[in-house]
Amino acid sequence: METITPQHFLILAFLLFGVGFLGVVIRRNLLLVLMSLELMLNGVNVALVTFSRTGQNLDGSLFVFFIMTVAAAEVAVGLALLVALYKKRRSIFSEDAGLLQN
Amino acid sequence: MIFSRHPVSAALFMIISMVSVAGLFVLLEAFFLAILQVLVYAGAVMVLFLFIIMLLDVGPEGAKSSRLKLVSGFAGVACFSILIVLSLLLVFDSSPISQGSTLWPALDQSLLVNGENLVFSTRVKSFGFGLFTKYMLPIQVAGFLLLAAMVGVIILSKKVIREEKV
Amino acid sequence: MPACYRTNRMESVILSVLLLPLLSSLVTLLFLRNRGNVAALLSVATAGGILVFSLYLIFATGDGMYAWEMSWLTLAGWELKLGFLIDGSARLLLFVVSFVGFLIHVFSLGYMHDDDAKARYFGGLSIFMFSMLGITLADNLIIIFVFWELVGFSSYLLIAHYFSTKEAAEASKKAFIVNRVGDFGFLIGIVLTYWTFQTVNIQELKALVDFDPNLISTTLCLALACGFIGKSAQFPLHVWLPDAMAGPTPVSALIHAATMVAAGIYLLFRIDFLFTGDALTLLAFLGAAMGLFAGFCALGQSDIKKILAYSTLSQLGYMAAAFGLGMPGIALFHLMTHAFFKALMFLGSGSVIHACHHEQDIFKYGGLRQKMPITALTFLVGVLAISGVNFLSGYFSKDAILLGAYNENMIIFVLLYAGALLTSLYMFRLYFLTFEGQPRSNNSKKAHESSALMTGPLIVLAFLSIVGGYHSLYPTSISGVLLPDIERVAAMPNHLWMIVLGTGAWIVGSLTAKYLYGRGGENEPLLTRFPAFYDLCKSKLFFDEIYGFYVSKIQDPFARFIEVMELLFISGLMVRGSAGISGLFALLGKACYVGKIHAYSFWFILGTIGFLAYAVGLFGN
Repeated sequence: METITPQHFLILAFLLFGVGFLGVVIRRNLLLVLMSLELMLNGVNVALVTFSRTGQNLDGSLFVFFIMTVAAAEVAVGLALLVALYKKRRSIFSEDAGLLQN
Repeated sequence: MIFSRHPVSAALFMIISMVSVAGLFVLLEAFFLAILQVLVYAGAVMVLFLFIIMLLDVGPEGAKSSRLKLVSGFAGVACFSILIVLSLLLVFDSSPISQGSTLWPALDQSLLVNGENLVFSTRVKSFGFGLFTKYMLPIQVAGFLLLAAMVGVIILSKKVIREEKV
Repeated sequence: MPACYRTNRMESVILSVLLLPLLSSLVTLLFLRNRGNVAALLSVATAGGILVFSLYLIFATGDGMYAWEMSWLTLAGWELKLGFLIDGSARLLLFVVSFVGFLIHVFSLGYMHDDDAKARYFGGLSIFMFSMLGITLADNLIIIFVFWELVGFSSYLLIAHYFSTKEAAEASKKAFIVNRVGDFGFLIGIVLTYWTFQTVNIQELKALVDFDPNLISTTLCLALACGFIGKSAQFPLHVWLPDAMAGPTPVSALIHAATMVAAGIYLLFRIDFLFTGDALTLLAFLGAAMGLFAGFCALGQSDIKKILAYSTLSQLGYMAAAFGLGMPGIALFHLMTHAFFKALMFLGSGSVIHACHHEQDIFKYGGLRQKMPITALTFLVGVLAISGVNFLSGYFSKDAILLGAYNENMIIFVLLYAGALLTSLYMFRLYFLTFEGQPRSNNSKKAHESSALMTGPLIVLAFLSIVGGYHSLYPTSISGVLLPDIERVAAMPNHLWMIVLGTGAWIVGSLTAKYLYGRGGENEPLLTRFPAFYDLCKSKLFFDEIYGFYVSKIQDPFARFIEVMELLFISGLMVRGSAGISGLFALLGKACYVGKIHAYSFWFILGTIGFLAYAVGLFGN
């Protein structure tokens, strides 16, 4: 088997990001949209750590730390909003939240 | 995960991928981050998701509007590819924005700015050192961010309860 | 005094002369709308200040010329300069405007004493003074045009003082519109001037014409004379002046007798080097014809102010004829003397009107000499002056004009002489019917002499009407501009014959008037004796009717046609069209506002792609 090069990791990060992206675009269930968002962030994390490792630089990893922090905060707030929306509209599907529809 | 019908299965798949990413971090010799990944993402974030799923009692998604999904799927792929192409152009093209960026195999040392270079190490101590010297400001800001998020969530959920009472 | 210090003071004095009335009118407009008395006093004080400053300017510049200019507006390759030129003619007109203006302001204090809208009136007077002084002092045609329009505007404002009456509202509109027609020609003339000479500054024009007399053309000067024709009410734009009598009498005195209508003559004098022989001849004939025509019309009027208005038209014709005969200095001379006695007569009529409670029909007057002696006496002085009674002011200027006409152009002389006969006829008719005989209505029975505020200016103006013709009495700074032409006329032959003819004219006229109207009758004797002649006089040659026909039958349909075009193309195509295009953009924007979160995420992504594309440089750097 060939050695695992950074390119492999990056392709994986790319795939994770892409899958998350697709999930955001496709899903109607807002909860799942939020989860796909997390997946995108994960992909970015992997990429960052890869670069940090190959560049012999700790800055990348430190930045991952912050991304995780922000992601956690964002999930908390997003879910609180989702619950509030649910209380109003009794559903968490995106088509039911369309009051501004023309 | 994105194709599963039931949200709980989606959440479980998510947990598996989080743990896998933690494994990846171990492979990349970022041990601290691996543990952090498991603790924060798989442990806290996904638990929160599952909690909300249980709270809202979300059922499996309906079969309708699969055509919409197809269309948006294609559109999404198209957008994604455009994004990637543009990003690559940004990075590799000889436009002034991306001058001097060489990514493979190692970063150009002359590009490093903003403080002394932190050498990669697997020890948590170096992590902490970097955090509290070079990234002092972001740490403080992250603290505030967490505080804000907490306060926000409390207010958001408080409102809901009040409405219920009325 | 060092020259620079003196120059600054001159500039500041000139600017004060100009800006004082503007300031007064602004203050009246902003603060004194409801305080008529304060506005009146402010205006009169301003007029006094103008008089003082004008006298200073007249004496400070002496016999020489003072010019000053600054660049006001600079566009690529073209510059609009604001400047003042004080030469002999400017000093003369400055004297007339400020002095007569001041007297009329004082008179207005008495006349408008019980008027409701004093503030508006005095504000309008101040604006008028500002504009008129601007015309007097300006040194290039464009600035003159600006102030020309302003004068027209103040005239509009003041004629419409009693705007609740239909007559006044119509008259003010008519005055403004007819003026505008003349100003259109004036504007074309200015453009032509700039095209030919590349300058509109009067001094530069004179230098250029001196250098190369072939540059002037009849078209150019006639176009410029259009402004004169409109403002000074010559053929065919004379129709607004009689109607303008709907305004208050002091306004008629100031604007439509002494100053604004004289602005046309002043303009002609300033640019007289631009006139070709043909244009001059044309102007002379127009003026002489007007002199005669207006005399006939005045005979057919029974409103005291309308008679005086036609008399003004007639005298303006005389001035135009003098100008056309090649004696611009005499025209200016007649302008000055005319200002004195016409303002005197208008103010006198104002005094009479005020005393008879705004009755204006002379057949309802009568016997006012006993009731209002001062007014009657000063009015008589004015009548004598205008008729050319020897040794009064009007005699000198009129005699000079007639002499010049006799020697240059016999036809014009005949026209002017007949006009002189008619002048004395209708003027004495006016005097006899108003002041002699028995009171013919209740209003005139109850009349009494006016207050000192009104009779004071009358006395001063009467004095000037008597001595105003002795040009040697004036300082040379004022009369210097007149002397060349006066001396030229004095050297002409047939002087004695002219004196005889002139004396004969006024004697014949006054005797006829005494015969016809001496006893003062209820009706117009001409109507009974010569009805056809009287009808012709009254008809005013149907000018008003012709214009009315033209406006309603020709101009209105054309205007309606243009309205339809405008509705179709401009409103329809351009305005609605551009609104439609904006609407399209709005529709596009509205598409962003689908309520679906799904779509929003797409817009988000598209936005990111857009930013990236810009960063890569797809939309240009």
